[in-house]
Amino acid sequence: MNKVQIAIIGAGPAGLSTAIELSNMGYDDIVVFDREDEAGGTPRHCGHLGFGIFEFYRLLSGPDYAKKLTKIAADRNITINLKHTLVDISKDILTFSTTDGLVKYSAKRTVLALGARETPRSARLVSGIRSPNIMTTGALQRFIYLHNTIPFKNPVIVGSEVVSFSALMSSRKAGINIAAIIEEDKELNSFSILKSFSETILQTPVKLGYEISSINGDDKEVKSVTISKDGIDETIECDGVIFSGDFTPESALLQENFKDFNFANNSVFISQAFQTTNKNFFAVGNVLRGALTAFKCFFEGKRLAKFIDDSLKQEKLKPQHVKIEADENIQWYYPSLLDLNYPSKILTNLRVNKKTTGRIIVSVNDIDVYEKQIDAKTYTNIKIPREAYPVSKNDTIKIRLES
Amino acid sequence: MKQIDLNSLFSKKTVDFNDNEVFDIAVIGAGVVGCGIFKEFCENGAKTVLVEKANDILEGASKGNSAILHTGFDAPPNSLELDCIKKGYEEYLKIKKKLDLPFLNTKALVVAWSDEQEEKLEAILNKGLNNGVKELEIISNKELALKEPNLSKNAKAAIVVHGESLIDPWSTPLAYVKLGLQAGGKLAFSHEVKDGHFNGEYWEIKTSQKTIKAKTVINAAGLYGDIVDSIKGSKDFKIIPRKGQFIIFDKTAYNLINSIILPVPTKITKGVVITKTAFGNILVGPTAEDQESRTDSVTKKEMLKTLQDKAYDLLPALKGHNITATFAGLRPASDESHYRVMINDEKNWITVGGIRSTGLTSSLGLAKHVYELNDKKYTKPKKAKEPIEIQNITEFQTRDYETSDYGKIICHCECVTQREIQNALKSEIGAGTVGGLKRRTRVTMGRCQGFNCQASVAQICEESKS
Repeated sequence: MNKVQIAIIGAGPAGLSTAIELSNMGYDDIVVFDREDEAGGTPRHCGHLGFGIFEFYRLLSGPDYAKKLTKIAADRNITINLKHTLVDISKDILTFSTTDGLVKYSAKRTVLALGARETPRSARLVSGIRSPNIMTTGALQRFIYLHNTIPFKNPVIVGSEVVSFSALMSSRKAGINIAAIIEEDKELNSFSILKSFSETILQTPVKLGYEISSINGDDKEVKSVTISKDGIDETIECDGVIFSGDFTPESALLQENFKDFNFANNSVFISQAFQTTNKNFFAVGNVLRGALTAFKCFFEGKRLAKFIDDSLKQEKLKPQHVKIEADENIQWYYPSLLDLNYPSKILTNLRVNKKTTGRIIVSVNDIDVYEKQIDAKTYTNIKIPREAYPVSKNDTIKIRLES
Repeated sequence: MKQIDLNSLFSKKTVDFNDNEVFDIAVIGAGVVGCGIFKEFCENGAKTVLVEKANDILEGASKGNSAILHTGFDAPPNSLELDCIKKGYEEYLKIKKKLDLPFLNTKALVVAWSDEQEEKLEAILNKGLNNGVKELEIISNKELALKEPNLSKNAKAAIVVHGESLIDPWSTPLAYVKLGLQAGGKLAFSHEVKDGHFNGEYWEIKTSQKTIKAKTVINAAGLYGDIVDSIKGSKDFKIIPRKGQFIIFDKTAYNLINSIILPVPTKITKGVVITKTAFGNILVGPTAEDQESRTDSVTKKEMLKTLQDKAYDLLPALKGHNITATFAGLRPASDESHYRVMINDEKNWITVGGIRSTGLTSSLGLAKHVYELNDKKYTKPKKAKEPIEIQNITEFQTRDYETSDYGKIICHCECVTQREIQNALKSEIGAGTVGGLKRRTRVTMGRCQGFNCQASVAQICEESKS
């Protein structure tokens, strides 16, 4: 059994920034683990610009940003164990699969920075053929940025989140012509200016309000997709389908190991100190809620370092967790526990499931204590402040959306 | 940027016999039934060739099934199907012991969800007993709740079928082919049978590539069984493909049930099954949709939703678990429900058709039956000393990622190693299609469906091709 003071699982922006900040604070018994053969996480295969402004005051591409983070960690002599796949965390023992055999670690504190992935076609239950040319943006970006190949020439993109336009830009750069962007909602799930940008500058039609009703082809070759709006079908010829966005936390191992799993977020419950219901385990970054930008994950990691420092310095301090629950209209929310040991200005951060004009209401033991008017889209980040209503340990805080 | 064709990552397999070779037996179709027959004849010394239109085994009906080793408790009484299921089950246990193949005796529960269904349990039990399946018992809903605490409380009662078990539906037939090869059998993949001529002594089978000569033809062409059968000059049956759609739930759901949950069957189908899989998931399906097309295996959202809802009804705890995969398979049902196995002595032609949903279990039994039907003696080859190698990809035995020196893990969701992929690509019977690679390794079949590894896998295949 290997012993380490702080184990960090995941060498992406959240994990690395936690490690770097802890190192800045003087901690030197830290090991970062990653299952890939290179550190840096998802930005490694986001070849476009848009990274680093807030962290490093310069505009970087994803791969350059990943390299920079990795270099800072290396300069601090932080150990990064690559090709370590976490396969078990039961009994607080971290078991990794490595080519040298199974390796076990016990850590005083463990940080779960496991990241997120896109929802694939299967989980969306889309009708049609099966083909290797039906994939997610993540898969496409790895073809382009890590392997220098393209799998198709003329696919459609399903979804209209920021990542969908990232898929569009990556594709254009690689010589792939996007036949259309298809979005089920009546408006984009990202800044509306992107529609006219796509259509006028890139000549890529954006089909809003269309459901993809089937993927057509023969013998594993995609030939077209049928999309429909108000019962009327339309066919778009294409040779591939990119399912983009709808990120979901990489949380299966946590679902199997945490008795109390937050199904609403598809992740573990965490407090404003990023602490889970197991006081030695913390979770940070996109494993909490699906994808936000790298800089959000970076700054969360930085904040987390202070809470880990606190918890190590005050071993005897018991968390005072009050559970926060949310209804099904909330896309995700975090923190999902309120730790009464810490003062807090924010109760939780959340996004709504669909474009909503209405009210967010907070109740304590079913008595409404706070409400906020919102006019929100699916990508609007909403902060719910922690106001001066009394909450004690065995209370239940609930958040609901009324439109 | 260079385009990579994800549908031709594999080179066409070549044959290693010459044009003059006259085989004793040509088996047409490398589905599970064909693979089993190939093994049986090879091991008995017949010079046998396995002729397949795809570039790998299991590319037709055999690629999508529920991976259950059946006891035959609900098979038609006094039928060939029942005989072959029982013999096949026994043979599997023998071969499993010899080759250390995976097997998990989960038992099955035939659950009655209404009073009407509960009344039928007794008859099902008696049918099972008459079929010679002894280990059967009826349990109350209370006993059921103890065995399966997550199942909906609407269950009325159930029959426990002790023998029903889970196996690996893909490595098993692969093992049969390897055994056949070891005993001297030959393969002709990417050889689509087009026509044939019997000259009184042997068949000349015209294919998309070579013409293959064999004294006896065994038609195990599955979904194309009736078309291939017409080559012998008469049409004795018609294949009516029956589509079955499936949903695979994430591994997080694996422990929600302990047994295979079977419905009380109707006349048309065994109905929707909820079962664990050998690979650590929960499988729900199949639907039963008759259709004309032998190739159309598209999934339909409405159908999948119905399946999903049904699964949530029976096993409410499934809500909150992600769907990992959806797929549809085609069963080669025929215009009559029984197995269509017959010999034409004048033409040296044996038909093995209409094996709709029990082929995985019955294949070895069928193989023995067909061997006896053929009624010819061959000189048995010497028993090979070298054991054949079968990679374990199930959760019942040690996986490669739990050992060492595997290189690195390529597919993180299914923990598939570089070494497993490389092993699956090499040798005469290495993967010849994308599906074939998946079936040998599980690569890209996990919850992310290739988000993480599809590009790496494609690159490994490209490199191994050149």
